[in-house]
Amino acid sequence: MSKKSRSKLWFLVHSWLALPIWFFVLIVCVTGTLAVVSQEIVWLANPDIRASKPSDDAEPLSFDQVIAAIGRDEPKAIVRSIIRPDESHFALTVGLSYPDGRTVEAYANPYTGAIQGISPSFNFQQFTRALHGWWLVPFTHGYSWGWYLVSLLGLPLLASLVTGLVVYKRFWKGFLRPTLRIRHGARIFWGDFHRLCGIWSIWFIAVISITGTWFLIQAILGDNQISISSEPIVPVIARDKVPLSAPGVPAPMIALDEAIKIATQRIPGLDATFAFLPLNAYSHLQIGGRGWYPLMFQTAQLNPYNGEIAVSHLLSDRSPLEFVTESMRPLHTGDFGGLWIKLIWAFFGLVLSMMVLSGLLIWTKRTALATLNALKREAKGQRAPIAKRAESSEVHS
Amino acid sequence: MSRVVAVPPSPLRAFWLKWRFHINVLLLLIPLGFMPKYFADAALFRGDTGLGERVAGQVQVGPWSLTLAEFRNEGPSPDPAGPMKFFNAALCDNCAEQVKATYLRIGKPRSLRAAGVIFFGTPYRMGAALPVPERTPADAELWVTMEGWDGTMHQGSIPLSQASPATIAWLNKQGVKP
Amino acid sequence: MNMMHPARVAAALLCAGFSSPALAHNPMCECKEIPGEQIQCKGGFSDGSGAPGVTLDVIGYDETILVPGKLGEDSTLTFKKPSAEFYVLFDAGPGHVVEIDQADIQPQ
Repeated sequence: MSKKSRSKLWFLVHSWLALPIWFFVLIVCVTGTLAVVSQEIVWLANPDIRASKPSDDAEPLSFDQVIAAIGRDEPKAIVRSIIRPDESHFALTVGLSYPDGRTVEAYANPYTGAIQGISPSFNFQQFTRALHGWWLVPFTHGYSWGWYLVSLLGLPLLASLVTGLVVYKRFWKGFLRPTLRIRHGARIFWGDFHRLCGIWSIWFIAVISITGTWFLIQAILGDNQISISSEPIVPVIARDKVPLSAPGVPAPMIALDEAIKIATQRIPGLDATFAFLPLNAYSHLQIGGRGWYPLMFQTAQLNPYNGEIAVSHLLSDRSPLEFVTESMRPLHTGDFGGLWIKLIWAFFGLVLSMMVLSGLLIWTKRTALATLNALKREAKGQRAPIAKRAESSEVHS
Repeated sequence: MSRVVAVPPSPLRAFWLKWRFHINVLLLLIPLGFMPKYFADAALFRGDTGLGERVAGQVQVGPWSLTLAEFRNEGPSPDPAGPMKFFNAALCDNCAEQVKATYLRIGKPRSLRAAGVIFFGTPYRMGAALPVPERTPADAELWVTMEGWDGTMHQGSIPLSQASPATIAWLNKQGVKP
Repeated sequence: MNMMHPARVAAALLCAGFSSPALAHNPMCECKEIPGEQIQCKGGFSDGSGAPGVTLDVIGYDETILVPGKLGEDSTLTFKKPSAEFYVLFDAGPGHVVEIDQADIQPQ
């Protein structure tokens, strides 16, 4: 095969990867971009989730103080979980159970413990993630087929990156001499735009496509009951480790702050940012947070009656494989290092969306041009060679 | 590839060539179609629409009682550990402090140890995934076991046909397994 | 945590990244008769994990424990078939049990 026809073939492959499903890919890119900054969007729209300081010298409350404050304001509500978001301008997310049977997320002020509001029934954050992640297809058993549909896109995305770099001869020169010709017509402009965005997004497209493909693998493993977790499974506390007490008097539990202290001693470097409270008398109290490696969480499950740590899942417990697989989700979503990383992810998400669009525009412009040429030549009565030329002219540019 | 070659295409073919790469817009119908279900499920999970899709009724368990509801008004769903039926429950107002744990089982338990699956959640709303053996008889009873903080045990039952007609229908559809 | 509706699992998977309370860990156990009047039971959890060290007792119909056992490293336990009527109880903790009646153990 000649060099020319080989590059033509690569070009064809590159085009075909996204073209027939360009709109699907575009919407997945756009919703993914929105999902990255969904928390920030809600922050802008809903004052309830902002962590406003009552005074300049206000100190954040401990988890026990927050629970006590909620107990004062809403004595009937039961706290199920407290999560301190990564960024300090967000209110605490508190899982609350109300006597009428609702279990909702409430937003508590980290400095006063006041419940500022409960999550609205339309949860923008969850909605964008569900739309992006599984196209809203319900999970009936195992993973939803929408999850497969979306995560399968990781493969053509990866292939697009590879074939794009093959087609784009000496792409590294683009870093040194960025070209974006504005005054040479739409086709030239979109072509330059596509290439320029492409080379600067190489890292991002690689990250998104590889992590996206991991979601596919994760679903396949999950649906086939293949576990690669090194975490020991201790579903509940053994019956003899839960003390008996007088009728009608629940056995006393240790304070949450005490539990956090125990967990922090056991897990050096733990920044305890979330607590899941026991969900019945035999259920553990789970404390967790990040350690030195920002992409993974470390957790400890404690016996809430005596503070004994039943299961801990530390960074040092993880197998090398788990370091890779557990890093996949945060690398995909960009939620591991605060606002700036999210904004970088959102920016490149937007660029990737634009690449889908510009790719489509290049194709349509070129097709339109080719059609025009073909018709012109046809009018002159030169049928056979034209089609050929129209096609080959598409290869470069 | 744009094989818009010289042969004048038929209108149908022209239409196909023009729109073939835009048919995938129709994929948007998938999330649009599932949107009502998505929001109904979100409300169900939050408890905005009650304890579950169908409240089965009260079950008296010794001095205590609970309200039992089917999470979904449908038969068991497949699971690697066998077909599972999700039930939700709420403890009676004055027994929340009294009850240490609540269990659910098809058929009368042999012991507290074998009392069945345990409910997770709060006294206001808790849930359990009940394994439903495929050869469960249609006249089976669903037994609720409650354990007090001093270790006392109380039991009560409700006919499975009352707790979940959909499960009975599912069992009948399965037919009798050897 | 055992009780977890599939959609919750999904939400937890993508939203929080806090892995462990989200995954379903339903206990599973299967027993079969093997040569030499023996019974072999294998336990595990529905996510595919094994259950080494988890209790598996063989209990008589009169509630006496005939064979107290723990699963080995391979998540299995082999015991001699009792002469009295019995059932097998795989016990991963309160509310996390699988009960297998002798009648449900397939003969060879």
